[in-house]
Amino acid sequence: MGRLQVQLQNQAPMPLAAEFECAAGELIALVGPSGSGKTSLLRAVAGLLRVPQLQGTVQVGDQPWFDSARGICLTPQQRRVGLVFQHYALFPHLTALENVAVACPSSLDIRQDASLRALFERLGLAGLEQRRPAQLSGGQQQRVALARALRRILRPQDGRVEPGGVLLLDEPFSAVDAPTRQTLYRELAALRQQVSTPMVLVTHDLSEARRLADRVVIVDAGATLQSGPPERVFSSPRNARVADLVGIQNHFRGRFRRLPDDRGVLRWEGQDGAGLDLQVIDKHRLDDGVAVTWVLAGEHVDVLLPAAAAPADDTQNRLLCTLVEVLALGETSLCTLVPEGLASEKLTLNLSTAQLRRLGSDVGGKLLVQIPRQGIHIMPQRTGG
Amino acid sequence: MDYQAARVSLLLAAATALLLLPPGLWLARWLALSAWRGKPLVEALLMLPLLLPPTVIGFYLLLAFGQGSALGAWLASALNLRLVFSFEGLLLASLLVNLPFMVQPIQRSFAALPHSLREAAWVSGLSVWQTFWRIELPLAWPGLLAGVALTVAHTLGEFGVVLMVGGSIPGETRTLSVAIYDRVQAFDLGGAHGMALALVVFSLLALALVFAADRRQAAARTLQER
Repeated sequence: MGRLQVQLQNQAPMPLAAEFECAAGELIALVGPSGSGKTSLLRAVAGLLRVPQLQGTVQVGDQPWFDSARGICLTPQQRRVGLVFQHYALFPHLTALENVAVACPSSLDIRQDASLRALFERLGLAGLEQRRPAQLSGGQQQRVALARALRRILRPQDGRVEPGGVLLLDEPFSAVDAPTRQTLYRELAALRQQVSTPMVLVTHDLSEARRLADRVVIVDAGATLQSGPPERVFSSPRNARVADLVGIQNHFRGRFRRLPDDRGVLRWEGQDGAGLDLQVIDKHRLDDGVAVTWVLAGEHVDVLLPAAAAPADDTQNRLLCTLVEVLALGETSLCTLVPEGLASEKLTLNLSTAQLRRLGSDVGGKLLVQIPRQGIHIMPQRTGG
Repeated sequence: MDYQAARVSLLLAAATALLLLPPGLWLARWLALSAWRGKPLVEALLMLPLLLPPTVIGFYLLLAFGQGSALGAWLASALNLRLVFSFEGLLLASLLVNLPFMVQPIQRSFAALPHSLREAAWVSGLSVWQTFWRIELPLAWPGLLAGVALTVAHTLGEFGVVLMVGGSIPGETRTLSVAIYDRVQAFDLGGAHGMALALVVFSLLALALVFAADRRQAAARTLQER
């Protein structure tokens, strides 16, 4: 069973500096804004990216698919790739069954082929075999495209299904409506139990990546910036650019100062020159006095009423803030708070509506925002990888 | 009705369409897919017969094929082939002037195929050749049909080049359109009428076929864009 290992570089016209791997049975998500090169990386794995100067390797198991140093470049036909295209790319003149059967010609009559029938049943397409793509709904078209891709990697041999290759999904859920998307998410999660090849999903949707992927790889301008389990990448981005890309709202500027005993002070600097000191942990990755970007991990933050608060210990930061805006979103409310003495900065917190009601606080009221030291994540200000 | 002329016309149209289809298909597909920098020049050359007066084309063909030219002399001595005032010469001229009518619609239908379909076929394991036969051709056939229909209709209607290169030899180079001209010159308006009407009806049918084919292709396109 093959692990996918990709390591690619390219100069102009399309700069690439990418490195990622995907174990057998693992699902990774390449995440980045449109035009970031994530689809190009997927196409490079499939052998569809034709760039003369492309350098690096693409390897599946012990089989090199691409190796610029050794002059190896397999054609898309020679690579065992199941690829679901963004707009499915179903063949409009063929029936659903024929569309899927194209991916693995067998000597059997396709109507008698038990493995094809099983695939249709597994994806909830039974009964739709003779429909043309135009006669299928968006969700059904997506499933036919998925069936075609699976057919390529679940190659039947002597009646046995022996998987291999890689499954690539290029924004597969972007063209269907929201309810269908939820169904398809669940189906993909169920399908993962049965597919043991590496799976690479390309998406610009962060919540989709978070929900589906074992690991996310953040891609920007053709470069892979950071990879790891979603919760880690989303809570501790490596630098300010990653923080931007993963949509962290609370990121601010400041200056880091070292104290003894692994402690540090973060001077939170506002735009008007004012500042606030925050207690932080010194992870010995930053020099004394360096300018930093820092983010607030929302799950660590608590909100208290100023009058009711017990005295804080020195592992906690407490900021007296004014609640300036509340946006009710149902179960949660998006609150904007301005810290006392730092009028140019705004904290955005997603509080539960029930908690807000319990506090009895309203716009204009005062709240204590409690931030433990580990809730502050500090990164160098440079945006480079 | 000059049935001999009708036979020459139909033979010429059929031969032109059949001989032009394979190279026209190849050229059209290449033009549709190529990103080569010299492509606009090739396309301009291809369209030139549409803009030039038929007399200009006929004149140069006469110069090129005539006994006075090296090519004409060689063809006559080596192959015993006379291309001026003969059916063979007429056919060659017809192939040249019909190239844009054959290539244009086919090129458009290949250019309209989403490239992702080709790529989907490749990653599914189909070779370039299998992709052409099983995916591209079945989807581009309305363009092929339009190319053939336009070529046939245009060959039947061609007049200037025919007169310049072929003249009006009954049973050899006198086509329907030349026969109509001869009838009118001889004040036989009734004879001209029948043939003229036949040409109008046939051309109208051919054009209707072209537009019907175009609609089919448009329907295939909308599916892809959904």
